[in-house]
Amino acid sequence: MNSPAAGPLLSVAGLRVVYTGADGRSSVALSSLDLEVGERETIGVVGESGSGKSSLAQALLRLLPSNAQVAADRLCFRGRDMLGCSHAELRQLRGEGIALISQEPALSLNPVVDIGRQIEDVLAAHRDLSRTERKKRVEAILRDVGFDEPARIMKAYPHQLSGGQRQRAAIAQALICSPSLLIADEPLSALDSATQAEVLALLRRIRSERKLAMIFITHNARILEGLADRVLVMRKGEIAATGTVEELAASKDDSIAGLISPEKTLGRVAGPRSSVAIEPLMQVQGLSKKFIQRRPFSNRGFEITALNDVSFEVHQGVSAAIIGRSGSGKSTLARCLAGLEQQDRGEILISGEKRAGAVQMIFQDAGAALNPRFTAFDVIAEPLVIQGRLKAQERRERVETAMEEVGLDPEWMDRRADEFSGGQKQRLALARALAANPRILILDEAFSGLDLPLQARMMRLVLELQQHHSLACIHITHDLNFVSLFASEVLVMDAGRIVDRTSPAGMLESENPVTQAIVSQSESLRAVGLEAVL
Amino acid sequence: MKRYSRSMVSAFVLLAFHGVVLLAGFFAPYGYATQYRALPHAPPSLIHFVDCSGRAHFRPFVFGLKEQEGTFSQYERDCETRYAVRFFPRGDGYTLFGFLNTDVHLFGVDEPGRIFLLGTDGFGRDQFSRTLYGGQVSLFAGLIAAGLCVGVGMVAGTLAGLYGGVVDASLMRLAELCIAVPALYLLLAVRSLLPLQVGPAAAFVLVVLVIGSVTWGRPARLVRGVVLSARERNFVLAARGFGATPAYLFRRHLLPETASVSLSQFAVLVPQFIMFEIMLSFLGLGVGEPFPSWGNLLAQAQQYHNLVSYWWLLLPGLAPVPVLMAYYSLSNLLQQGPGAKNEEII
Amino acid sequence: MILYLAKRLGQTFLLLLGVSILLFVLTQAIPGDFFSEAQLNPNISADVLHSLRSQYGLDRPLPVRYGRWLAALIKGDMGYSFSYNQPVTRLLLPRLANTLVLAVPALLVCWAIALVAGVLFAGYGGRWTSRAFSFGTSMMLATPDVLLGLAALLFAARTHLFPTGGMTSVGVKAGLLPAAKDLLSHLVLPSAVFILSAVAPILRHVYAEMKQVLQSPHIRAAEGHGIPRLRLLFRYALPAAANPLISLFGLSFGLMFSVVLVVEIVLSWPGLGPTMLEAILARDMFVTLGGVLLSALLLVTGNLLADILLYVADPRIRVQE
Repeated sequence: MNSPAAGPLLSVAGLRVVYTGADGRSSVALSSLDLEVGERETIGVVGESGSGKSSLAQALLRLLPSNAQVAADRLCFRGRDMLGCSHAELRQLRGEGIALISQEPALSLNPVVDIGRQIEDVLAAHRDLSRTERKKRVEAILRDVGFDEPARIMKAYPHQLSGGQRQRAAIAQALICSPSLLIADEPLSALDSATQAEVLALLRRIRSERKLAMIFITHNARILEGLADRVLVMRKGEIAATGTVEELAASKDDSIAGLISPEKTLGRVAGPRSSVAIEPLMQVQGLSKKFIQRRPFSNRGFEITALNDVSFEVHQGVSAAIIGRSGSGKSTLARCLAGLEQQDRGEILISGEKRAGAVQMIFQDAGAALNPRFTAFDVIAEPLVIQGRLKAQERRERVETAMEEVGLDPEWMDRRADEFSGGQKQRLALARALAANPRILILDEAFSGLDLPLQARMMRLVLELQQHHSLACIHITHDLNFVSLFASEVLVMDAGRIVDRTSPAGMLESENPVTQAIVSQSESLRAVGLEAVL
Repeated sequence: MKRYSRSMVSAFVLLAFHGVVLLAGFFAPYGYATQYRALPHAPPSLIHFVDCSGRAHFRPFVFGLKEQEGTFSQYERDCETRYAVRFFPRGDGYTLFGFLNTDVHLFGVDEPGRIFLLGTDGFGRDQFSRTLYGGQVSLFAGLIAAGLCVGVGMVAGTLAGLYGGVVDASLMRLAELCIAVPALYLLLAVRSLLPLQVGPAAAFVLVVLVIGSVTWGRPARLVRGVVLSARERNFVLAARGFGATPAYLFRRHLLPETASVSLSQFAVLVPQFIMFEIMLSFLGLGVGEPFPSWGNLLAQAQQYHNLVSYWWLLLPGLAPVPVLMAYYSLSNLLQQGPGAKNEEII
Repeated sequence: MILYLAKRLGQTFLLLLGVSILLFVLTQAIPGDFFSEAQLNPNISADVLHSLRSQYGLDRPLPVRYGRWLAALIKGDMGYSFSYNQPVTRLLLPRLANTLVLAVPALLVCWAIALVAGVLFAGYGGRWTSRAFSFGTSMMLATPDVLLGLAALLFAARTHLFPTGGMTSVGVKAGLLPAAKDLLSHLVLPSAVFILSAVAPILRHVYAEMKQVLQSPHIRAAEGHGIPRLRLLFRYALPAAANPLISLFGLSFGLMFSVVLVVEIVLSWPGLGPTMLEAILARDMFVTLGGVLLSALLLVTGNLLADILLYVADPRIRVQE
């Protein structure tokens, strides 16, 4: 068992994973995948969603759900065949030999068991130690991942911790038995950019301090720079390319190069433009909004100031970015602008008047923004139907044009909305917004749930539509990805106020601490397009 | 595909049972009130192909019954008499669909023989025939009561969810009152207020109304929840952003949501209400003699002496099992479908 | 928490008050009373009837009668039973105790069985076991309680293993031990019928909630850390599935009353159920009213209990930063 010298740590050949759906149809997630991980080696795995990279993580731990069939010519860890393992042997291996950090820390920790017990149980499952010894080790590991008061954290439940703290606790849980291979499955994607930077730094430190081998799965290849020894690019269940980040960036295959440098996808369409019109299209004056929140089992309500005297203006044909951390009030602002929420005080004027309907909003969660029972036609035609415009035949034509405009095949008009993929749903939402004939489009973190390359393609689409329809766009975002490539104005929000108002280039020189913090996080995460202004 | 075929099986079982029960006159060999005073408490008839002397017959037959010497209602088979089973014989007259008078039955035996598949009761009435007729009461009382309950619940829940304020508060307080009392006790309480001695038709209507009126609280709360959460969904917000009227929002976005929840509620409630009817009639508070229901058929087995001597009196109690299982399986499938899960009420 | 509890208690009280008004109005809304039947009796004169009615206060207007009834109710007096000729409280309380002796332990056993079996079936079941499970439980659900009770009675009569009804036998030796033994032997049959009738819906809920929780990412993650299966099921999955089950625990008091009513009537257990039935048939309003109110009181208490349990069990509610 302890013969680390001979051969690679993990050796996989011909790994296949096939899912059988409820309808009896099967789909191939991985087809014949080969992979070798040496001691202390870090492998990056990059791919768009659906490329099979998450199935890879689960297959390596043999954690796939029961409707998946796994087969391989070889699946060896430290020379031991994992396919022939008994359940008990497999259980020993998990957590002690190979450990997993999963995607969403909020969901991967048990909500009703305290952190200390969750970490201690992993130790108890693998080591025969006394209770006090276990407690001591848990405290030590928590201190190691950067908690100052491990005793307090041990008694805490996941809901009491912030997203970053939760992910650090999850990392501590993975490390408690000193595994030799750590699989990190998109460990950053569910975090906001401030926490992303912090967790990434922690993972880098742990890797070098603990001499770990690591498989780092991500859709953002840029953060692998300086972290991964090798990067595998996955496409449709196969490895499409292997190499260092620099080698892949120089690849002749556009889709591979686009993974590393999504800004290339945006191409020439972009380019910040300055406003030309003298009259602003939208004027926002002194917007304020408060919420009363209640907790379950308590009658005390407490007031939250979501917006505090917000004023700005937007010109026709221009893109503005509103940047802020979660809880800064940016989403409330978006909903007020779109008329979905009534402000307490203040005014929103379009071309000098109060008007509804000219502002359309694209929501972050496309799945929730479309009625799953509707067909694509129903979705896009809805504004036309509600406003009673056009005859049936003309509506059909309008929907067809709109679908073509957003890059969807009009043949799919009669498919139900829930049959579309995430990116396609956002395209549907865009088509619907366009059908309403807006003058201003608000994108509330619209693409942040998508893979980076897909984000780039969607961003390009928005820019094209914006030019074609001469729309004003307001992008609400928490990171600086793409911002320098489209925005002509940047508004930074914090605690319900606009604290800084500048241009993308101006952000770098800004004196404002909030702006500075956002810029430095984005630099460490290598936000797309930031080089352009550096 | 698999889900589809399983729901088809359940739907087929339900359709078959409801059809047979509706056409009870045809499928039953005798009328529900026809008494054979000479044969009280006769055991279930066995269908034979071989007679006492070991000779096989092509046409199935039943033996005649004779009372054992010195006993009361203890029978033994009479090897001398054989009565062949016939299809489409003429027998007791009945009316189909309220206007079609006929006397043809699916099966029967030659006169003067009798075929009692589930035996007879103390009046010499054929239990099989009575079970089929009894289903008319039990199955349709459950169906109509569930329709009533879900209908009232849907209207009340939608009103409460849409209008909020006083409408919401008063409707929901009323619903809570109904939920706060155990359903069966409330059922008994409400039933106790109504006349005890009523004809079968009036009793049927009473049972349906009583069950429907005390149970609407839960579907109402469920529908209200669906309406409230649907109102906050982003796609409803988006439609409001396009200037949708409340009527449009209700028709296009809210109604389909509430309808699917109500449908799966309906499938859960029907079997429960069939049970309620069985219970009420068993306790003598539902449909009464001479008209049978699945509940009052069991009531005679409650007498200790009857139960111990004539076990076949329990057989009609098995009739609900396949129907209810089909309903439960259908409701399970409905809950897995679009429109999320909803609670099975207990 | 204390504030919340006080508010919740207040709500419960108001709810019970509402139930009492609703029921009282319903009972008084129908024409006729206990003495209506007596009117047909030529031996009782109208004057006697009149004085009887005023003696029992039946000639007063509705709100006055409710007020008097409520005032008495608060003092523990639920009115007078005409047919039993004794106060309703004295009539019902011992019977309620009998019902609870049968139903509460049986309900707890149901929960114990359902929790263990539900968790194990959900955690270890494959495709065929889960099919067998859903077939078996739906068959249990589909069998009328009445039939189960009667079948049990037949079983007892044929085998003579258990008493065929009642709560005590005559001629039992004096002393605590023989009495307890006698009571237990009488309890076996009704408890078995109760459990068979009531366990299926609870079991199905536990199973469904567990199945759902077992698919959640945190269970997958814990499995990935090598937590042993049994520990995973009972210490990680079950607590995470607890909230809806605790609410169900409150609601299951309602289920308990439905099931126990049938068991009591079929197996002649001297509980609340048979008394209620007799009262209904005899139009003895205050007994019916009292029985329904008592059952409502217990159900509402069950729900309150579930709320408190929820608070204790769920750190997301209990611990707030």
